[in-house]
Amino acid sequence: MSAAEIARTGVLVRIPSALRSYTRGQDEVVLDAPNLAGMLESLESSFPGIRHRVVDEAGRRRPFVNVFLNEELVMTAFPDVALKPGDIVHILPSVAGG
Amino acid sequence: MVDVASAIKKGSVVVAVGTKKGGFLFHSPDRKKWSVAGPFMTGASVYHMVLDPRDGRTVYAAAPHFAEPWGPGVYRGRAGEQLKPTAAAPKFKEGSNLAVSRVWHVEPGPEDEPETVYAGVEPAALFRSADRGDTWQDIESLNYHSTRKDWQPGGGGLCLHSILVDPKKSKHLVIGISAVGAFESRDGGRSWTTENRGVRAGFMPNKYPEWGQCVHKLAWDASGDGSMFQQNHCGTYHRGPDGGSWTEVTKGLPSEFGFPIAAHPDRKNTAFVAPLIGAENRVFPKGQMAVWKTGNSGKTWRRVSKGLPGPNAYLGVLREGMSTDAEDPLGLYVGTNTGQLFASRDEGDSWKMIADFLPPILSVSGGMAR
Repeated sequence: MSAAEIARTGVLVRIPSALRSYTRGQDEVVLDAPNLAGMLESLESSFPGIRHRVVDEAGRRRPFVNVFLNEELVMTAFPDVALKPGDIVHILPSVAGG
Repeated sequence: MVDVASAIKKGSVVVAVGTKKGGFLFHSPDRKKWSVAGPFMTGASVYHMVLDPRDGRTVYAAAPHFAEPWGPGVYRGRAGEQLKPTAAAPKFKEGSNLAVSRVWHVEPGPEDEPETVYAGVEPAALFRSADRGDTWQDIESLNYHSTRKDWQPGGGGLCLHSILVDPKKSKHLVIGISAVGAFESRDGGRSWTTENRGVRAGFMPNKYPEWGQCVHKLAWDASGDGSMFQQNHCGTYHRGPDGGSWTEVTKGLPSEFGFPIAAHPDRKNTAFVAPLIGAENRVFPKGQMAVWKTGNSGKTWRRVSKGLPGPNAYLGVLREGMSTDAEDPLGLYVGTNTGQLFASRDEGDSWKMIADFLPPILSVSGGMAR
């Protein structure tokens, strides 16, 4: 999908292979959300259970799961990170090796 | 290496082995020649894996969702086929500010509730599923027990690792938490009592508190009257049918410390332990791996080690590392933290290694394919 197409349709979320059992194999999802917290809610409504893989039930980000917005690692709270059409979000496991 | 389910013949003994890098099913029609299916959940730490005795075909496992970063999971599948995560993992209720970090144990429910499964998790909590693990009920009476704020973890974490479902009374449950102790419910989990009278907490100022004991593993005594065995950080115990105080039965064993305990499924007063030197050195005494057996509720113990490695075998067995089958004579299975699986076809009197070079073994569970 081109950047122009994404900009017209919404936020592009790239789904890691470990979570594609939730998305029925889709490696990309396009959605509309005002911020990263909303993005997770939107994913959850379409693919129940997926949110719990990124944040735990107390709302804390899992320690070795990283979220990148337009290739920048997100360090702040998800509700504080605004999204706009054309943004690309990557959800990736961190390299937890030595 | 993965067999198909049909290769596990009906009537075969199946030993489900969870390791630090995946799960395996060892199976044999005669307990002499063994085959293996797996690995399943490759790369993941499989804390527990069990063949459901109610149908002899469904396998449940406790392992992270594909890999550690993605949180806890419960897996389900037919014996010999790849297991898949159930639709949801256990979760604490909203607002609790608690989050499940790991599933330690999956326990199939009673015979007359074939869809019921229990899960014990870290931080310590019990969950029940009525649909084979796809949705989970937070057992609030235990999980938010009035004592919870003071619960302390054992060396492995604050984990609920033992779940006993009374085969005769399905509402009778007993669970074990490290380092909190045993709790018992007689109303299906609606209410719980602490069940630690007589159990020593040698690391506490008060050596016999109401709770705070470091239970390592619980097992029903086959007497079927609620009697139980317990391996604790501080000794080995038996509790009689009255539901009263535990009796310490460490005398006769080489150490008060060990992790697993397995009871004979049919012969009352009979159990097996694997004592280690102690908390500071969790290997077998004198470099000799050994299992100890009692036939009188721990009044006396007999060492059985023929065929087990040693001397100079400096290894250990973890809390889920020993199990039985239900054959006659009884089969016993022990997995080591150095990746060997040993089997006995004569109630522990002699042993053979049936697998080596596995990843460190976290759990062993015997059953029969149907």
